[in-house]
Amino acid sequence: MEPVIETFESRKKHMCVKGEGLSIPVCDKASLPGTVTQRTCVYGGARIVLMPITDSIHLVHGPIGCAACTWDIRGSKSSREDLYKKGCSTDLQEKDIVFGGEKKLFETVLELNELYKPGAIFVYATCVAGVIGDDIKAVCKKSEEITGCRVIPVQSEGFQDHNKTKGHWIGCDALLDYVIGTKEPETTTPYDINIVGEFNVAGDLWGIKPLIEEMGINIISTITGDSHVDEIAQSHRAKLNIVQCQKSSNYLAQKMEKKYKIPSIKVNFFGLQQTVNSLREIADFFGDEEMIERTEKIIESGLKEVEHKTDEYKERLNGKTVSLYVGGNKAWSLVRAFEEVGMDVIMSGTKNGIREDYERIKEAVRDGTVIVDDANSTELARLLKKYKPNLLISGAKEKYISLKLGIPFCDFNHDRISAFAGFKGFISFAKEVDASVSSPVFNLNYTSLKGD
Amino acid sequence: MYNHKKFSVINPSKMCQPMGAVQALLGVKDTMPLIHGSQGCSTYMRFQLTRHFREPIEVASTSMNEKTVIYGGEFNLMKALKNITEKQSPQLIAVTSSCLTETIGDDMVGIIEKFREANLGKDLPLIIPVSTPSYAGSHVEGYDKTIKALVEHLAIPSHPTGKINIITGNISPADVGEVKDILKDLQCENIILTDTSENLDAPLSESALDLYDGGTTIGEIGDTANSLGTIAISKHANLAATFLEKKFAVKSESGPLPVGLENTDSFINLLCKLKELEVPETLKRDRGRLIDAMVDAHSYTYHRKVAIFGDPDFVSGMARFISEMGMIPTVLCTGIISKRFTDDIRTISEDKGFNPVVLAGGDLYDLHQQIKELGADILIGNSYGASIAKEENIPLYRTGFPVFDRLGAQRISILGYRGGINVVDRITNTLLDFYYDEAGYEITEEESPEIAEENLYVTEEI
Repeated sequence: MEPVIETFESRKKHMCVKGEGLSIPVCDKASLPGTVTQRTCVYGGARIVLMPITDSIHLVHGPIGCAACTWDIRGSKSSREDLYKKGCSTDLQEKDIVFGGEKKLFETVLELNELYKPGAIFVYATCVAGVIGDDIKAVCKKSEEITGCRVIPVQSEGFQDHNKTKGHWIGCDALLDYVIGTKEPETTTPYDINIVGEFNVAGDLWGIKPLIEEMGINIISTITGDSHVDEIAQSHRAKLNIVQCQKSSNYLAQKMEKKYKIPSIKVNFFGLQQTVNSLREIADFFGDEEMIERTEKIIESGLKEVEHKTDEYKERLNGKTVSLYVGGNKAWSLVRAFEEVGMDVIMSGTKNGIREDYERIKEAVRDGTVIVDDANSTELARLLKKYKPNLLISGAKEKYISLKLGIPFCDFNHDRISAFAGFKGFISFAKEVDASVSSPVFNLNYTSLKGD
Repeated sequence: MYNHKKFSVINPSKMCQPMGAVQALLGVKDTMPLIHGSQGCSTYMRFQLTRHFREPIEVASTSMNEKTVIYGGEFNLMKALKNITEKQSPQLIAVTSSCLTETIGDDMVGIIEKFREANLGKDLPLIIPVSTPSYAGSHVEGYDKTIKALVEHLAIPSHPTGKINIITGNISPADVGEVKDILKDLQCENIILTDTSENLDAPLSESALDLYDGGTTIGEIGDTANSLGTIAISKHANLAATFLEKKFAVKSESGPLPVGLENTDSFINLLCKLKELEVPETLKRDRGRLIDAMVDAHSYTYHRKVAIFGDPDFVSGMARFISEMGMIPTVLCTGIISKRFTDDIRTISEDKGFNPVVLAGGDLYDLHQQIKELGADILIGNSYGASIAKEENIPLYRTGFPVFDRLGAQRISILGYRGGINVVDRITNTLLDFYYDEAGYEITEEESPEIAEENLYVTEEI
């Protein structure tokens, strides 16, 4: 079989075309040393899952570098505190590496508690903290006893795995082991749920929450967007978990199902039809006739509200092509939303996908779509040059690779500028996509000076 | 009680050594930086660099994982060198270590030697190791060590050239351009260590995705041994200058960053001293224009309080400059502990008759506490200062690294007389936007709150 693009022999099977033999690429393998990988470390994975907990301090136990480039980058919004945005580090020095950093960690936790009285202090282990053998759990336990503040160890040594998926799980484990089930709700209703894997990037949660509440459902907690640690502590009393980011948070939902018998359903609020389906599925789960009726009304008015509001964008976007190269979830959850604005997904890929992620992508895309695993920057550039999509959806590191090739780009990751979820979010989505795809600036590069 | 905290760093004002190393390497032609460590080291760094420069940034990783941590990183480093040699074939691979590989004790020099031996007779890139553990120093030291490693491994003595080596330190591509323009005006042949001016402000073209075609060449780095002298315009980036002086008797000078009138004068005087150059009319005219701009601005800038944070040479340079403008430095903060920095500030304070609070080894929490205490009418520093500025209701003049929430970071120019004119105009216009009404009158506190409120929403330029 012809390889999708020219690359290292061992990398060729990480790319495939749906419907042509192999429909799921080889995945979940270590990146090749020496390439410019778009992946990050396990610490990064844990941090992005937990960082949106707004009333908490996120303390990085390691040398300054681990904290210096990762604070306040989640793009996750808060309706309350901004404690989670602070970049806290134990700033380990050479003598700490030699003699151990436990004492410094202990003092730092005490100091941060004194300064901020946070809902919790999450302590993240970095590569070095792991290698020098600091007993973070013991320090957390001791300082929790002294301060009375929740001090939660996150065993996220960066080198543990070849991609950050394991970091997502470690972040979820910290919640399962130290937070969930540690507080009882004052009141419960038959319609209590958690929204799992919604990180409120650009305020997405705020497009979903009112719809769900209007249905008559009580949201105990969001895990973890715009959340307080005490809310997550009560999440074990929910009757249902709805899972938005299935990449990072299916793991948590499965564990909660096992431990607390909470069933879960996968939802997707990107795109109109997906939003409608998700709302209906939630209502069907509870099977309450009145709720089902209410939900239909919500859907009707939601659709009415956006009717014709995207026509102008759709007209320009119709028939245009798009490539997705993202962390995970958006590789499948955005496909229908793009179809609704008339665009064709011709490539979809992830940096950290595992087999179940690629199965989901395969289900979502049509035959002929290129499916890509862990493309490094050279491969990404080759793919873009070969397929020339009208738009690339990816993150900050990929942005200028795309733009320098003259391919319009939208950052749907940490630097997204507007909320896309729910009915109204769909208008912002279409508007933002149009602003990139249809901008005249991309034609300028085909002009030339007289005399050229 | 915890106002002067002792243990935690909250909102750091420094980055790690490998970050400084990469910043230095981005100015070298046909070079691949390789970080020997976990993937996060290179990826988060690229994220930070790319959102600042708005250019693609390529940094390879040896992608260490659990197994390689237990058995040592030799296999991954050898494999990385092989893959880069085969696929990118750069002229130079610069390998920087990370906390992880330093702590597990990987012998990078030995591994690189082993790689060379295993590939005897093959056409290999030059490979140089730089030791950059993040727990011993910051991006400032990382930059310094990397420039030193470049000359240490690559400089070859032959015939004297009479050129001047300039070590820029970590400054913007536009400022590297400014330094080059000054040297051109003076007709001073030079070698820039390292020249990011083209690489990090590239036109829209596919070629920007390849290894850099611009920047300091390996040949030029080799030739630094034959220059007449080296000037490190960042005092904290002078290791290579000292090395070249000891080893090849190339005169070494390190001067203040040429920010503002006096420091730019010092730089030009230093060049003239080394090379017996004539100062051309163009530079004299630019100097006159800067003084003219400062005079134009004086009534708006006089005795305005300023807080500055960033790299040590930037902070001390800017502190002197704003003092020349009649402004008062109240808080000066840098992330690293440095005697050179505190000495510089002491000299400036004595010269200008001010007594600012100096935070060396400080973070943005400390900076914020001091601003609350001492006040500031304007904050000068990178984008991380935005939340302090918002909370204190003062404008932020964005410069330094990183600037990710405004466009044009690669084009912020503050050096030389011409960069100085930019600074004067922008600081003054920022003050005008913030503290004066549309008719040009200063908004006083007695005025209606509506007017004051309205003026909060004027966006300042970077």
